[in-house]
Amino acid sequence: MSSIAIVYRKELREILRDRRTLVAIALAALATPIILLAISQVSTKTATQSYTIGYSGTVPAGLGILLTATGLKLERVADPAAAAAQQVDLGVAFGPSRIDEYYDPTRQGAQIADTRLQTVLGQYNAAKAAAALEARGVDPGVLNPIPVSVHPLSSPVAAAGNALLSFFLPYILITMCLTGGLSAALDSTAGERERKTLESLLLTPAPRGDMLVGKFLAVTTVSLAAAVAAIGSMLVALAQIGLPGTGSSSAHIGLSASAAPVMVWLAVLLAASFSSITLALGTLARNFRQGQAYVTPLYFITIFPASIVLFIPDFHPNLAYYLIPILNAVLVLRDAIIHQSVSWSALAVTSVSLVLTGSAAWYAALRLFTREALLVKS
Amino acid sequence: MAAVTVDRLEKALGSTQVLRGVSFEAESGEIFGLLGPNGAGKTTTLRVVCTLLRPDAGSVRVLGFDTGTAPQEVRRRVGVVTAEIGVYPRLSARENIAYFAELSGVPREEIDRRVDAVIERLGMRSFARQRAETLSSGQKQKVAIARAIVHDPPVLMFDEPTSNLDVLASRDVRDFMVESRGRGKCVIFSTHVLHDAERLCDRVTIIHQGRVVSGGATAQVRGTHRDLEEAFLSLVGVGS
Repeated sequence: MSSIAIVYRKELREILRDRRTLVAIALAALATPIILLAISQVSTKTATQSYTIGYSGTVPAGLGILLTATGLKLERVADPAAAAAQQVDLGVAFGPSRIDEYYDPTRQGAQIADTRLQTVLGQYNAAKAAAALEARGVDPGVLNPIPVSVHPLSSPVAAAGNALLSFFLPYILITMCLTGGLSAALDSTAGERERKTLESLLLTPAPRGDMLVGKFLAVTTVSLAAAVAAIGSMLVALAQIGLPGTGSSSAHIGLSASAAPVMVWLAVLLAASFSSITLALGTLARNFRQGQAYVTPLYFITIFPASIVLFIPDFHPNLAYYLIPILNAVLVLRDAIIHQSVSWSALAVTSVSLVLTGSAAWYAALRLFTREALLVKS
Repeated sequence: MAAVTVDRLEKALGSTQVLRGVSFEAESGEIFGLLGPNGAGKTTTLRVVCTLLRPDAGSVRVLGFDTGTAPQEVRRRVGVVTAEIGVYPRLSARENIAYFAELSGVPREEIDRRVDAVIERLGMRSFARQRAETLSSGQKQKVAIARAIVHDPPVLMFDEPTSNLDVLASRDVRDFMVESRGRGKCVIFSTHVLHDAERLCDRVTIIHQGRVVSGGATAQVRGTHRDLEEAFLSLVGVGS
């Protein structure tokens, strides 16, 4: 058996017996479904929740039924403006020829109630106007001189699902590729120095490069396993839970045929790059704690690109942006999920960028692992 | 041919000149003492001999192989036991030993037999399948010795091997060194405990501030002094 295989097998065995790594992977696999379930519950509750309108005056005929059907309860109050600031979600004063609405935009309940009220009033006004025109022998169609028929090219529900997935999936993939193997990487480098096993290891005739390759492969394996566990559980959860708020089976979200292989390929590249980086930082550190301090900035670097996609959803970058490691992976995945298509040039640039990043980190790790100071300063 | 030949070895660590022309020879079938106070350069000398550090000047040969040009051949022929008993805590004692046997190039079909043999030889059977994190210091030191000898190296180096051990465990280590000498191994024993060295070593070299201040048969180095410690203090100009 080659030295690489010997080190790989031993590292993997130790990792599988390390409670820290196993707990991290298990939590990652469980956390995503729990978070999605919580989001789904909150969204469903928000959609079905009733809101209260404090009103004065006389409610126009028929409007009360419409409001109740939309989840807006009517409650008579003396002063609608004062009531809207305190005990009810909206205040409405029904006058003979107009309606005054009072609400506090800083309250989420008031915002939702306002949206519902505006929708109901719009429908009510349109129906009243149409009836009045008809009574005078005028075609109600004059109110709608250019009828519009909307024909979505894809399911709006699916689009909403893809938008949700395009944020969560890259975020989880990148985060897990980093954190899944982090403990293992630090343990097999800084941990070796801290436990005083490094000197004995380096005394064996096995080439140091082979040792590092074995460690690298073990850490990459764990990172990939963590990413697969987290994403798998997320997809299973989304398939079961469905898109929050819709409640229909068509709202269930899945990964498209084009996105799945792209995701796997990027996961391999990301896991390999992060493994090289964390091994290099771990080799630089004298103990596990110092290693953790060195890798902390990586968390921010990984979270930032996913956040960009969240806050700039219509961000259409040119090819140069795909040279930026991690951001490029987020962008490629976003395109694959939302548009269900892959730009091969973007994927190629992304792959080259990630391979170069990983290679540079690998070279640094190898240099650090073969220097004399590795032992002298321990 | 001497098992280990160190010739005018020089080594600096950072801005500190640690070794200043150290020379000695150690033979097979003897316990050779590398003696001196803490900071004298003993550990650095051993680290150069076992190829962990490269010499700045001078040369080291182990059974004819130069540490500079054939480091892997040297490592195949050397086993090192240090005071720092680092073992892999989540592996069993047996797995720790087997891992080093594999990395040292022991043929796959021989690993079980070799590992069983050292476990038997060092009296480790009762805890061989226990995880290393549950072992006592003495038991861990036995694991450290076992992994250093599992590939049956002709040269064994012990760097302050008893400094973290209790009386019983220390005696086991000393007994093992004597037994290894009986098997024809070249045993290099680095220590600052001159009393231990006097009891065990056939020949000694005393290093002080990176230089050899005396060397030869133990009795010869002791000379007319009461013991090695007194001889050492006299050599470095501290004694009465």
